[in-house]
Amino acid sequence: MDLTPRTVTEPGAQPPARKRRWLPMLVVVGALLGGGVVVTKFLTSAIDYYCNVDEVGVRSGCSGERRMRVQGVVEQNSVKHADGGTTFTLDFNKKTLKVAYSGDPGGVFQECIPIIAHGRVVNGVFESDRIEVKHSNQYVQKNAKRIDQANKEAAACSVLKG
Amino acid sequence: MAGQSGTGTSATRRLGVLVILMLATLALCGLWFSAEDVVQGSTVRIMYVHVPSIWTAYIAFGLTALCSAVYLSGKNRSLAWDRVAGASGEIGVLFVAVSLVTGSMWGRLTWGTYWVWDARLTSTAFLFITYVGYLAVRQLGGTHRQRARRSSVLALLAILEIPLVHFSVTLWRSLHQEASVANPNAKVALDGLMLFSLFLGLIAFTMLFVWLVLHRQRAMMLEDAFSDRGLDVAIAARRNEAGA
Repeated sequence: MDLTPRTVTEPGAQPPARKRRWLPMLVVVGALLGGGVVVTKFLTSAIDYYCNVDEVGVRSGCSGERRMRVQGVVEQNSVKHADGGTTFTLDFNKKTLKVAYSGDPGGVFQECIPIIAHGRVVNGVFESDRIEVKHSNQYVQKNAKRIDQANKEAAACSVLKG
Repeated sequence: MAGQSGTGTSATRRLGVLVILMLATLALCGLWFSAEDVVQGSTVRIMYVHVPSIWTAYIAFGLTALCSAVYLSGKNRSLAWDRVAGASGEIGVLFVAVSLVTGSMWGRLTWGTYWVWDARLTSTAFLFITYVGYLAVRQLGGTHRQRARRSSVLALLAILEIPLVHFSVTLWRSLHQEASVANPNAKVALDGLMLFSLFLGLIAFTMLFVWLVLHRQRAMMLEDAFSDRGLDVAIAARRNEAGA
């Protein structure tokens, strides 16, 4: 017995076609496809997002010739701007890597902060075209009265280095 | 609910006023009283919305799973559990969306990019898509009990993603930083008023969530009642036809 609520129809008219809920079905299909894309991205990119400086050329998947992402802390007093580019040294676990970035990183990029550089090693220098600043999980209030500028920079450096 | 227009009661109205006051206090603390971060500057203020949003989403999806488990295991299988599960799921999706948008804004200002496919962001995107799928499955049709049964099973599977998202930054190498409060080292890494503002945000957003769930599950109850009334009318019409 069909108990679907219905409107009155003319005698002999065709019964109304059963309504299908297309939108939820499309959303379910979209969610399955989107989930597939995300899982693929997870397996190809997210599991090991970067290599540490001390793993370059040592660890599997961190070969110097191929394009990769390298994580390390920007060494103090190493940042130099010249010819529209920026050079600095990345430091991690007592190993260093010279980086040449094609531009000005801008944003919160600074010395003593952990970053991830995208690029490849050419003649011992990591040539990078993209930099992401990897902020630590520590949040320190800015307070000019508490410490002078020099001490503040030194403190920030030590805090960020952990 | 006779003689009542809308889904509010005196209790929810009082709760609503309290939520507004809490959110106003959060805005004052987050935007005015708390200091800038030594590295991020004012960008840190996004955290007072971003972190409470994902926290509330975790609570919402936890409640969805809990109510689904109660529905599936209960003797009388009251649909009220399913409605709370559905309402909580809807609001959870909303809060994940807020967290993704605010996180993306923070990422642009701090990391230098809106989005990266790292472990935390990718797993959060997967969580979002999963619960959008959960909401779509709820709308696929059938009886209320069919809806409740299939969505409860899905909710119990989907909740397994929460630990994956939360611990993604420790399980895998991620651009996203580790948790500043609920971390494995049990070390709180936030200065005074920053920590206070964050906790205020957690409380305010949790209260907002409770208020929204109360209203939404009542609206769902009215929707179900309306749907059932349509069925009653149809049965009466067929009986009349058979008797004529």
